[in-house]
Amino acid sequence: MSVGEWEALINVVLLGLLLVVTFGIIRLRNLFGVVMLAGIYSLLMAMVFTLLDAVDVAFTEAAVGAGVSTILSLGTLALIDSRREKIPFRFQFTPMLVALVTGAVLLWGMQDMPAVGTADAPNQVHVAPYYIERTPVEIDVPNIVTAVLASYRGFDTLGEVTVIFTAGIGVMMLLSSMPVIGARRRRRRNGDDQENDT
Amino acid sequence: MIEHLVPRILAKLLIPFILLFGLYVQFHGDFGPGGGFQAGVIFAAGIILYALIYGLDRARRVITPGLVAFLVALGLLIYAGVGVATLLLGAEFLNYGALDSHDPVHGQHLGILIIEFGVGTTVAAVMITIFYQFAGRLQITRELESDETDDEDGEEEEMTGSPQ
Amino acid sequence: MMDWTVIASGVLVISGALLTIVGAYGTLRLPDIYTRLHAASITDTLATFLVLAGLAVPSLVAGEWLIAIKLLFVLIFLWFTSPIASYSIGHAAFFAAQKPKLDHDLTDAEGGTA
Repeated sequence: MSVGEWEALINVVLLGLLLVVTFGIIRLRNLFGVVMLAGIYSLLMAMVFTLLDAVDVAFTEAAVGAGVSTILSLGTLALIDSRREKIPFRFQFTPMLVALVTGAVLLWGMQDMPAVGTADAPNQVHVAPYYIERTPVEIDVPNIVTAVLASYRGFDTLGEVTVIFTAGIGVMMLLSSMPVIGARRRRRRNGDDQENDT
Repeated sequence: MIEHLVPRILAKLLIPFILLFGLYVQFHGDFGPGGGFQAGVIFAAGIILYALIYGLDRARRVITPGLVAFLVALGLLIYAGVGVATLLLGAEFLNYGALDSHDPVHGQHLGILIIEFGVGTTVAAVMITIFYQFAGRLQITRELESDETDDEDGEEEEMTGSPQ
Repeated sequence: MMDWTVIASGVLVISGALLTIVGAYGTLRLPDIYTRLHAASITDTLATFLVLAGLAVPSLVAGEWLIAIKLLFVLIFLWFTSPIASYSIGHAAFFAAQKPKLDHDLTDAEGGTA
């Protein structure tokens, strides 16, 4: 078997594992197990990304999905009652029909797209050579992904950082049990020792 | 017998390396995989490990919630500030070539470095503040439930939870 | 075509993979969380060492010792962090009042998977 065939085999195995993990996430009723399976899902996705030669994305997926996201989900579970949820599993026809039809339409629409990595796909002919040729001339940074992310598409990255900022602000506003700004002033005004310290 | 001896010793060994690795990833985003997002998450993971092992109160004394809230806004301010700076220097918004009038390529390097630093700061601060909010709420809930001794490392047990 | 480096690294990697399968099977079939922890820790220690050694052998033979040093660092960090995981699981199981299944418990019930 050539290298390409071994790679395809590893891809198939990883995607099969993804299917199994997804099925487990749907069917499992214990929330703690679901959080762990979500972490495993993120690790498998990071491996798939590495096979597709997208190392930056794999790095981010492993760090965020399998790292911090699992920690924060466990923190959420610690706040709620994470015992087994006893929702009975009822078979519902309309949602399953909608899901199947949408999946079938997506699969049918995918037939028109070129296969992954073919040399005459539009993004390989127009988009990728533009960045590959222009980056050493204009930016001169070895990592083209960073050049595209930070310079050519810097405005999109500004939007992403704004989204993360908004998420942080939202969490701070919703879970404002711990007053952050002005805690010292409030304590001095109240004069007593509150349970939250800065 | 010190509580949680094994994680304590290993965390003392590992947390400096985690933070150092976060800084490495941040500033080597130009040359290898990395950049602001990954570095921010790794840095936050190091601080969260410290908070899990040594208790939330100590972590809140090391990295105060006020400082973290300030850093959340500072990173975004740095990023947008670079854009405004390039506007003031005459070019378009976020055209880093204007940052260095003699050599646009050097200006691009400078711009990328500064905005990745802003991204890393915001991401790390947001992750740390979300963790502080969750864990702080858990601490308050547990203090309200049981008016006994404040169990610092209790959140670690609660979060590892019952596996069955 | 198959010189001794390929064979040696292949044997190391495959034996590491086989040990991982043994560890996974033990995690499923052993009766209690404490014994399952023993089985799972095989994956963290010996299997990782064999796989990484199998990856380091071709690079050492080709003269690129830097790759072998990087793999050694990966191994060191893995060996440092797996005790934290095992300790946390064991500690949490103990404080969740999971009693270890002893022999006289198993002979009453069917035994096997819990």
